[in-house]
Amino acid sequence: MKPNHERSSIRGTGRIASLAAVAVCLGLMPVACRVEAPERAEAEERARDTGYRGIYLADAGPRPDFVLTDMRGEAFDLRAQTEGQLVLLFFGYTFCPDVCPVHMASLAAAKRGLSVDEQRRMRVIFVTADPRRDTPERLREWLGNFDSDFVGLRGSEAEVDSIMLALGLPAAIRDTAASPDYTVGHASQVIAFPPGDGQRVIYPFGTRQADWKHDLPRLLNP
Amino acid sequence: MNGLQWWCSAQTLAWSWVPRPFPGVWLLVALLAGLYWALRRTAVEAAPGHGGSPDRRRKWAWLGGVLALWIALDWPVGALAGYLASAHMLQYLLTALVAPPLLLLGVPDGVWRRLASRPGAIRFLRFLTHPLIALAIFQLILFYTHLPSVVDRLMVTPLGSFAIDTLWLAGGLVFWWPVVAPVPTRPRFGYPLKMGYLFLATVLNTMPYAFLTFGELPFYGVYELAPPVGLLGPHQDQQVAGLLMKVGGGLILWTAITIQFFLWYGREGEAEGPAPAA
Repeated sequence: MKPNHERSSIRGTGRIASLAAVAVCLGLMPVACRVEAPERAEAEERARDTGYRGIYLADAGPRPDFVLTDMRGEAFDLRAQTEGQLVLLFFGYTFCPDVCPVHMASLAAAKRGLSVDEQRRMRVIFVTADPRRDTPERLREWLGNFDSDFVGLRGSEAEVDSIMLALGLPAAIRDTAASPDYTVGHASQVIAFPPGDGQRVIYPFGTRQADWKHDLPRLLNP
Repeated sequence: MNGLQWWCSAQTLAWSWVPRPFPGVWLLVALLAGLYWALRRTAVEAAPGHGGSPDRRRKWAWLGGVLALWIALDWPVGALAGYLASAHMLQYLLTALVAPPLLLLGVPDGVWRRLASRPGAIRFLRFLTHPLIALAIFQLILFYTHLPSVVDRLMVTPLGSFAIDTLWLAGGLVFWWPVVAPVPTRPRFGYPLKMGYLFLATVLNTMPYAFLTFGELPFYGVYELAPPVGLLGPHQDQQVAGLLMKVGGGLILWTAITIQFFLWYGREGEAEGPAPAA
């Protein structure tokens, strides 16, 4: 049996240790809150430099000039029909298991956060890189899951590839021989064309709803 | 990311309902089964003849604890926890709130008696499982392991995901110890205080719940950018996670409060003795 003074000393040490442990944990809280992934830090740095969390390209030339077919089977002239609007252009396919639905869901959520007027001044254009399987009905149904105002465009594989190449993107890789459920390799970035020519902002995969919320007002009013 | 993984973690691959093996989880389950066998042997050695072997209820409790962990960590719940915040929350509930009390209740009496005879261990446990310390440790683990920066960093690797699961289990054992474990004895921490302790935990649970449920945007990059599973978008998934924490966590804690109440009521009845005959 330990004498009383020794026991009270142990108890005192225990109390100090417990207080110290709690203090250390509480002290670490703000540090843990501030720790960011490297890509988040890069986006923040870009926002400080250019005002955009996306990758800003100045003097990027006019928006692309192409005509493809929309989901109603009518011709869609990108340059003529989106004049004065913000265009968010993406090349993907509706059977895509990962990147395409994530981008579309993020854009739809971010769009819902804008005013009606702002929503009217932006167009999300999804060009299918897999026209064999992405029929107009399929495009309408799939895009409708995200937002009924999203525009789905189709063209021949060669047409779509040449548009992608003109934009500096790699052409799509369609492994159609592998299986009927083949996957399509395609560029994973959304390209934003603010109203007026000459600017372009690139949003790679990993762009989050918070980034869109930050950038969309500025993209609409550059 | 396509090969065999020893522990479930977040994936960039599309979700598939084809089962996947996670050898680390199976090893843990085997180790817990082995640990039970070792505890049982210790209990028999501590009290040869009678009282050492665990009764049926303790066996079932241990089995229930191992089962809860297995469900939480193995495919599909464990694997889905790499895609959905709601599955991650279910994993948390099972690992931190369901498995620990069952495992503690499953420890044979003889092992508690043996532990009680070790002053060094008791001194350490008296400090670690002091109700205020235990609650603080548990809440800090809850807070840290739900921070977006921590989840986004750790959930992407099996080792990081394992670290989160281990912290939850360890935190759960510390949290439930003052309520369930008979050692060290705390005569002043009776049933009413145990109920108060559990009630405080339900109140503290509200902070992360509110943070998840009422957040305007998805907090976790790992879940926002994960290949979609089912119809829930990342924001709705996060809200379900918050509700699961509040409702599921609350249900577990209030069940424990109710049990403590009835144990208290039963003991009070025993203390009063039978009513005198008229």
